[in-house]
Amino acid sequence: MQLSPPAASRRLLPLLTAAALLGLAGGARAADGSKDAACLGCHGAMAGARVSFEDGSSLPILVDADSWHHSVHGDKLACTDCHRDISGYPHDVEPSPDARSFQLRAAESCRNCHYAYYTRVLDSIHFKELQAGNPAAPTCTDCHGAHDIQPPGTPRTAIQDRCAKCHPDVAKTYAQSVHGRTLAADPDAPVPTCTDCHGAHDIHDPRNAAFHADSWKICADCHGDAERMKPYGLSPDVVTTYLDDFHGVSNRLYSMGAGEPGRPIAVCTDCHGFHDIQPFDDAGTTEQVQARVAQLCQKCHEGATPNFSKAWLSHYPPTLDKAPLVWAVKWVYRLMIPGIMLGLVLHILLHLWRLRGRRNA
Amino acid sequence: MRDVKIVEKSDGTVLVERFSPMRRVEHILVITTFTVLLLTGFPQKFEGAWAAALLRLFGGLDTARLIHRAAGIVFVSHAVFHIGSILVGMLSGRMRPTLLPVPQDLRDAWENLRYYFGFRPHPPPFPKFDYRQKFEYLGLVLGGLVMASTGLILMFPIQAANLLPGQVIPAAMVAHSNEAMLAFLVLAIWHVYGAHLSPEVFPMDTSVFTGFMTREELAHHHPLEYARLFGEMPEPWREEPAGTDAKSPSKADTSPAPGEPHPNP
Repeated sequence: MQLSPPAASRRLLPLLTAAALLGLAGGARAADGSKDAACLGCHGAMAGARVSFEDGSSLPILVDADSWHHSVHGDKLACTDCHRDISGYPHDVEPSPDARSFQLRAAESCRNCHYAYYTRVLDSIHFKELQAGNPAAPTCTDCHGAHDIQPPGTPRTAIQDRCAKCHPDVAKTYAQSVHGRTLAADPDAPVPTCTDCHGAHDIHDPRNAAFHADSWKICADCHGDAERMKPYGLSPDVVTTYLDDFHGVSNRLYSMGAGEPGRPIAVCTDCHGFHDIQPFDDAGTTEQVQARVAQLCQKCHEGATPNFSKAWLSHYPPTLDKAPLVWAVKWVYRLMIPGIMLGLVLHILLHLWRLRGRRNA
Repeated sequence: MRDVKIVEKSDGTVLVERFSPMRRVEHILVITTFTVLLLTGFPQKFEGAWAAALLRLFGGLDTARLIHRAAGIVFVSHAVFHIGSILVGMLSGRMRPTLLPVPQDLRDAWENLRYYFGFRPHPPPFPKFDYRQKFEYLGLVLGGLVMASTGLILMFPIQAANLLPGQVIPAAMVAHSNEAMLAFLVLAIWHVYGAHLSPEVFPMDTSVFTGFMTREELAHHHPLEYARLFGEMPEPWREEPAGTDAKSPSKADTSPAPGEPHPNP
């Protein structure tokens, strides 16, 4: 490792020692911060000092003492709990080909305590990207920070900002959606942000078939919950009506392990969109909505007409009002099946009763 | 006049043909298609872990649906053949409509209930197929028509929507699913009782597989058919006073029905 300007020499001993002493004598934080004082003597003071790597890239060595102390680890961990390869002073840094490699290796220390999260990350698309040789894919510290780690969901809007660092277009689209707008207006609103749908550590590739077939569950978690929907005047019927319909039946069976879908079957997002979900309040007239539904049907059903799209009952349960034919068929069977079966069973019991009577006679 | 085979075995047992070989094959075909349709259809109706496991057995939901549709096409083709063969048989005068429900069946049902309640000593004399068997056959045919038409709508929804209102498609789904349930219940309770568990046939009425029934069984269960074939009413119906509700139809039924064959006039 090399220390680069403004410290001109490789050895900064006198300066660092002085800074360390200052840190120790610094008073105010000495009671709870003394465990870090020796390190912060240099790393808390040397603004502008950088450590440079083999390819010429470099990282600042400065740690903001205040944000470190106020981080979730500030009162729990000492510097060397994470930086385990460092002990004593002066210290070297393990040689790294470049700054990013150094960061990626440093983040490995998180697993010493957060092993469960670490293993979940191993299943994520981000880790697969890293493995595939894309060093830009995020590791722990890219989302959580390193020395300034705060509880991840405070405020919840911070989550989308973190994802936006790499996914700016998605973030922009999301911000204009019904979920994004609601969250922007009220950071405590129980509307989903990125991680609510995608997960945080075990983020799966949303482009694969299994994710698509299962994705209705993500929406159902909230939209099937009557209590949760009440403030927004939304009906939990949207989930049950979907699950009772062809697409829902299919996808639910696939989710339960009935094989792989040979072709994608429509889920919520195929009609409603995903990052750009909009409410239906201002979707236009009934005719306009129906025309749009017909277009959506055509995405999969070649030759679908507006009449065909009426096969979909628009999330309404089949009431006399909304779908009289379906309602009537349902009720005919609701009466006919018990009626017929009751008659047949009675007939059988009477037969047995008579046969027994004759034998006794 | 004998339009059915009567065989006397060496031990003296007289066997009367009840089902032609074609009908026996048809029965086995119905068992097969019905079972396949049920096993591939019900898991789609009910879902649950068992449903997924069953569908996996068929190679997954997609394959199960393919099998379901293939079996459905076999069923529909069979229905067309069956109804066609009956029409041809009827029009050419070589077949009696022995399974066609007639008003007498309602009277038989009423009389049989009176027998069950002890108002008469014997059941009414039944023809070749009694009202219970006719009910089941009618159920199979009408239910089959419902299953076939709704199944075709579900199989060709785009084409169906070109001819019918779109709402017919979800209605067909509800009908298909419920009619299947009804068919299954009638089979599991009514048919299993009538053909297996009833003390009168336990453990099994084999005639639909062998094609034959003994003369005694025929006399007991279908006295009118017995009378038609052997020229006299069996006991205990012989002594029934003439003019009762139960007796009067026997006159009509023992005489050749319209369209009945007269191979040796």
